[in-house]
Amino acid sequence: MAIVAFFLGLVVTAGFALTSLRLYDRNESRLLRLRAREVSSVLTAVVPSIQTPLASAAELADATGGDRRRFQLFMAPYVGPGRQFASASLWRLGTSRPAPTAVVGVAPTLASLPEQARRFFAHAERSQLLNITGVLSSPSPSLGFEFSTPGSTHGFAVYAENPLPRDRRSALARNSAFSDLNYAVYLGRTHSQAQLVVTSLHHFPIRGRQASQSVPFGDSAFTLVVTPNGPLGGTFFESLPWIIVAVGVVISLAAALMTDRLARRRQYAEQLTGVLDRVAAENHQMYTEQRGIAQTLQHALLPDALPEFSGLKVSARYIPAASGIDVGGDWYDVVAADDRRVLLVIGDVSGHGLHSATTMALLRHAALAYAAEECRPATVLAKLSDFVNSDDHDYFATVLCALIDVEAHSLTMASAGHIAPLLIDGGNGEYVKFKVNVPIGVVRKADYEETTVSVAPKSTLVAFTDGLVERRTEILDAGLARLRQTATGQRLAPEDLVETLTRGLASTDHNDDTAIVVIQWEN
Amino acid sequence: MGELTGDRAAEVLIDTRVDTMGTPLITLSGELDSSNVESLESTIASITADRPERLIFDLSGLRFMDSAGISALIGAAAKVQAVQLRAPSPAVRRVIELTGLSDVLPIEP
Repeated sequence: MAIVAFFLGLVVTAGFALTSLRLYDRNESRLLRLRAREVSSVLTAVVPSIQTPLASAAELADATGGDRRRFQLFMAPYVGPGRQFASASLWRLGTSRPAPTAVVGVAPTLASLPEQARRFFAHAERSQLLNITGVLSSPSPSLGFEFSTPGSTHGFAVYAENPLPRDRRSALARNSAFSDLNYAVYLGRTHSQAQLVVTSLHHFPIRGRQASQSVPFGDSAFTLVVTPNGPLGGTFFESLPWIIVAVGVVISLAAALMTDRLARRRQYAEQLTGVLDRVAAENHQMYTEQRGIAQTLQHALLPDALPEFSGLKVSARYIPAASGIDVGGDWYDVVAADDRRVLLVIGDVSGHGLHSATTMALLRHAALAYAAEECRPATVLAKLSDFVNSDDHDYFATVLCALIDVEAHSLTMASAGHIAPLLIDGGNGEYVKFKVNVPIGVVRKADYEETTVSVAPKSTLVAFTDGLVERRTEILDAGLARLRQTATGQRLAPEDLVETLTRGLASTDHNDDTAIVVIQWEN
Repeated sequence: MGELTGDRAAEVLIDTRVDTMGTPLITLSGELDSSNVESLESTIASITADRPERLIFDLSGLRFMDSAGISALIGAAAKVQAVQLRAPSPAVRRVIELTGLSDVLPIEP
């Protein structure tokens, strides 16, 4: 991955660098062409300074019939070191051996080259205007210019010469406007080495970037070739591609390192996720185990199976809270009081956890012990209350105690803060109306009242703890109404009714433990 | 009544002041259950340390109270001569009626 990122970075870098290089190249060529045009315009400005004195002298010679003295007087200011020409001379045309009739400055080189002079003047006679000799190489290199008046009657020509540097070299001054260029000026329209007039270069042919411009000069032309001796657009743009390459390589390296680090982190995160998944699985297992332990303990504290009673069908169930990994404080007991009577005790210790569960076990056994002495419900509750108040405690409990006379079809009940049970007679269900006294453990001297109601044949009694009916978002009566509706809809056997109520409870998110006891008269 | 509310984060606000008669007034609002009842229990403990004769609980802002809350109120009732509840919600009122606590936790007329 890191290597891929690195190469990708390099490719992008190369792309940018090449683009930059191409732009630089195009820009330099354009600048060079502009510079060549500037130099050529300077050259163009030189032409009149050569042509004008020669043209005027030719006019004078024509008018004076080739007066030598007048010619010499006129040309003298133009000839000499540091002036336009090294030599100026007056020639008569139309002869087979042309020769100067008057000379100012040094003797013209052309005079010593009769054959070349003949050909030159023969050509000049035909073309008139300014004629250039070409580079005269012997004895020392020079350049000659000729001018004869158009339509001349006497046939005079004015000829001037300038020596060329021996090696044609003439460097540009450092402070010149063209110091960033090297140049070569040729006579004619070609880059012929023989016609090289002047140059700042040492080596030929010219290599690299170059631009060429021609300037008309008499019957010929000067051809200018320029080449840059440095970047014309500044060194920054020249180095830009290299800067891009350097920065690009650094960025690619950084990207590669970053990618590598990200890959490592991802690997680490994946490992961590694996660990977390394992921890979650272990947690879930521990939770399941703990819930199992809690339920096992709870069931150990509750009666295993209820005894059978003649004339009654009984079913009961303890349901732990949905989220419960804790033991609760709900309990129930159904025991035979004597031959004809059965005692029901159902209760709920406040709070939850081991403390509530052990308190529940204590109360449960205490209630059974008191019931064995005297099975009147109010008495059992009063004794239970005294028992609890005999020591310091920080809990309270609701307890319902009901003594059932099977054959007499009667029910004697007392409640210590416990919700009244539901009594179902056929299709009618009513919560038994009687006085509910304070819960156990609330006040020091509590009085408990008991109430006896008669029960219709085949009635069903449903006793329960508040977990069955209490919901966080509603008033208690709503839960009571729902229970009555569920229980009275159809006549169910006790086990079936317990099952139905348990399922109804499971459909809600009940967060309290619940005990249910259903007792049904067979007759 | 063995309530388990571990995954529900209830919030209760407890305000304590003294009314014009010099009786401590504890105002509860929000939801009171086993997850936050301890804050109420410590408030009650610090107030009853001064041995007031009476305590008033203003429950008008309390939307829900479970058996743990009832238990805390009963604990307060055991430490003073009289406790009074002010403006409980119908749900709280019904729980008190149905559990025979009307005498221990009387509701202001």
